Amino acid sequence: MSSGHIRPLTELRRSDAAAFGGKSANLGELLSAGIPVPPGFAVSAGAFGDFVAATGLDGAIERAMARAASGTVEDGAAASKAIGEAMRFAPLPEAVRDELEERYRELARETATPEPAVAVRSSALGEDGEEATFAGQQESFLWVRGLEHVCDAVRDCWASLYTPRAISYRAARGAGGEEPAMGVTVQEMVDAEVSGVLFTCNPVSGDPSMVAIEASWGLGIAVVGGETTPDDFLVSKVTGEVVRRTVNAKEVEYVPDAAGRGTVRVDVPDVRRTEACLHEEHLTALVDLARRVERHYGSHQDVEWALARGRRLPAALAVLQARPVTAVPERAPKLSGSALSLVLSTFGAPSPKDERG
Amino acid sequence: MAASTETASAFPSPYAIETPPGCEGWEEMYPYHALFHEARRDVDESRFWFWNSMHFPLPMPAFDMACVDSPYQALGVWQNRVFAVPPAMGIDYRVVNGYVYITGNPVTDPDKIAERAGFFQKRAGYYYENWDELYEKFKEKMRALIAEITDLHVPELPEYEADEVAFEDDRNTSFYEVLAAYDRTLRCLDLMWQHHFEFLLLGYGAYMTFSELCKSQLPDIPDQHVAQMIAGIDVLLFKPSAELRKLAKLAIDTGVDGVFAEGRTPAEIDAELAESEAGRAWLEALEEIKDPWFNMATGDGLYHFYRSWYDDPSIAYASVVGHVRALRDGEEVERPTEELARERDRLAEEYGALLDEETRASFHELLQLSRTVFPYVEEHKFFCDYWFLTRWWNKVREFGALLATHGFLEDAEDVFQLGRHEVAQALDELVLTWSTGGAPLGPAHWPPIVARRKELLERLGKWTPPPAIGVTPEAIYDPAVIMLWGVTTQRVQEWASADEGGGRLTGAAASPGVVEGIARVVIDVEEIARVREGEVLVCPITSPAWAPIFSNVKAVVTDIGGVMSHAAIVCREYGLPAVVGTGRATAQIRTGQRIRVDGSSGVVTVIDG
Repeated sequence: MSSGHIRPLTELRRSDAAAFGGKSANLGELLSAGIPVPPGFAVSAGAFGDFVAATGLDGAIERAMARAASGTVEDGAAASKAIGEAMRFAPLPEAVRDELEERYRELARETATPEPAVAVRSSALGEDGEEATFAGQQESFLWVRGLEHVCDAVRDCWASLYTPRAISYRAARGAGGEEPAMGVTVQEMVDAEVSGVLFTCNPVSGDPSMVAIEASWGLGIAVVGGETTPDDFLVSKVTGEVVRRTVNAKEVEYVPDAAGRGTVRVDVPDVRRTEACLHEEHLTALVDLARRVERHYGSHQDVEWALARGRRLPAALAVLQARPVTAVPERAPKLSGSALSLVLSTFGAPSPKDERG
Repeated sequence: MAASTETASAFPSPYAIETPPGCEGWEEMYPYHALFHEARRDVDESRFWFWNSMHFPLPMPAFDMACVDSPYQALGVWQNRVFAVPPAMGIDYRVVNGYVYITGNPVTDPDKIAERAGFFQKRAGYYYENWDELYEKFKEKMRALIAEITDLHVPELPEYEADEVAFEDDRNTSFYEVLAAYDRTLRCLDLMWQHHFEFLLLGYGAYMTFSELCKSQLPDIPDQHVAQMIAGIDVLLFKPSAELRKLAKLAIDTGVDGVFAEGRTPAEIDAELAESEAGRAWLEALEEIKDPWFNMATGDGLYHFYRSWYDDPSIAYASVVGHVRALRDGEEVERPTEELARERDRLAEEYGALLDEETRASFHELLQLSRTVFPYVEEHKFFCDYWFLTRWWNKVREFGALLATHGFLEDAEDVFQLGRHEVAQALDELVLTWSTGGAPLGPAHWPPIVARRKELLERLGKWTPPPAIGVTPEAIYDPAVIMLWGVTTQRVQEWASADEGGGRLTGAAASPGVVEGIARVVIDVEEIARVREGEVLVCPITSPAWAPIFSNVKAVVTDIGGVMSHAAIVCREYGLPAVVGTGRATAQIRTGQRIRVDGSSGVVTVIDG
């Protein structure tokens, strides 16, 4: 009795972004390219629509939003609260709940864990991606364990469509916009010993022969959120040589809560702060990963990754997200022309690239 | 960190440099035009001069100034009057406390630059288009010149002239032959430098253009990778080392390897080898490789005391000792040429693939051109600086012997303490008094001068020249200065901000890797035999002639040079970390100190000692 609203990530491709959101679709795409992405499944935007319709929340949302649109900031906040609470207490449609249960069990089998910890993240709809980021509709719930908590986290992701910020953003954009919708990604949680971000080029200089890597202890939120100064590496894609290596004092990290649910922010013990969190073998694996991701997409990518605690390479490496690099500096003007004309210009003979006058 | 106080320049004025104690009057060793003179203070004080420690790491003996005047004349005439390089004329030099400082003469008038560009494009274009053919001609010319200087006869001054002088019309007397031979000796030097600079700048120019293209499109590409893509695989200068390695293997195979113990002199080794059949066979095998490979010099040949391996085989023997040890220890000493070739092509392929289509076409075309000119850039040293110059200095020694025979000098070698015009003067008086039978003044005149100059050189050798003097330039534009000396705007700024006596030096990251080891500072090539296995060589600049001992050292640090300098090339070949162009490593590091060399970032750190 599949509703078709929930599918394993392995079945998704880029073209599924309209139904499942950019994040889920892209993770499916990465899996299809053989990139190591933690197993999981995706909840479609349609599931959200069914949920709203089945629970009669649509009327309540409409009223709250109308008030917010014509009212004050306080009205927006009140609407957010009202919608959020209504959503959290509304039951999931049975078909959606059953399917979540089935997929979660499947994941339990696949990972050989009775109640696998998962990361539940919102997956904004295709075109809307950047706007959604701006509006703060990107929720992540980490170390979620057990079906009930997974269901809660899915609802929480949906509720993030109605944060005060999202409401005021939508109100400012004016009436007549489509009703918001969102997919959700549920993936096996990586117990990250180290995580970070890599660029398949040097985002500062634009050099396409380099891979730029930032890495810190624990979960990636410390790096992405800028809460710690990560170690910084610049590695040649061509030879694997480390061209620049800066080891910084990494003061905090996020680790799973001892209770096994959620995460906690802790101080990194002194001895590990200035210890490089990546070694040659890791850098080699990351450069290899960068080359594969770049080749698959045919453009420069920004990749979030993690190294799982207690596992060895290559199994330890997991990709959590890949996005196109948007802000690459302008490359130097093209240098073309015969070898001779270029050499002459080195000696100061007039030519297109001559600047010496 | 550099002090931020506002001063005119981070470098001292050439007119404010003090004479080291006991060196008063050093100026008399040099031509009048070589000095910072009051008459041109206005101009000279406001220019940027850097110490050419690459070619002249030591105070100049008077005669060796021939190898300053002649090359700068040749560089100037080809760059300025033949190729008319648009923004740069030639290089001016001055001597301070015996050391050679240089600066470029820029062309600043845009109309003049445009006018020169017309000449330059046509003439340089001709050379690039016909490079291989012209390079073949260069080798022919050089072989002929080497043969001429080798065979050039320096006559004795006999008691009576030969019969032929009396009975044949066209014979000259010996006085004329001596003076003509001396004159021809000097002219041969000029010709050699002319051939040398006919190609050099264009060769470096092609390489530099390729390097600039790489760096503009791939801003983070390590210099080493650029160099690696161009560097020749089957380079002539690696042959001597390869031959010595074969001899080391022969020594092991025939059981005479025990003779090659560290610290023994060539004479001791020869004596022991001569005692056995296998030893004598080894010496014969050595004899076979001497022509031409023993025409290598013990250092860059711009000083008279850098001899050929014929005259001073210590480097060759030290190299065999090193190879024997490495072979016995099972270390690979063979150059992995196939692997190097594969890697060089792979780099070119992969970097090329990262470029857009149009740029890629220029990249490959420039790479091809750079590889075409590169053999000259590497090999000209063998023909010019080593083969020719070691024979030329020996020819000058013959004139020294003539002067010594007649009491003008105490020893033939003292000839190098006289300027070349002073030698001409001495020869003039010698042939005059030989002709007249009168008493020469020379034997009283010259020896005290020689003695004083030897003392001066000894004392000046202890002075540490600043890397640069004069006004700090905003930027370096001169293509010759950048290409030949690796002196870039950035390098000058590093010199200007270096805190003297500190434990940290920066230079060009020339060959990757990080090692720690005991420093061995080698300024004079005679000290090279003291280098022990596993030490870090610290030197003003190494030349390919030193390559054989690289199998013994752990890393290399130099005062001057860029990533295409010979030290850099050889280090990459041997996989040794290297930092080049530090400005003052030989002044700041002492033998015995423990240092860390980071060839990837270009930093040298003194750890202790």
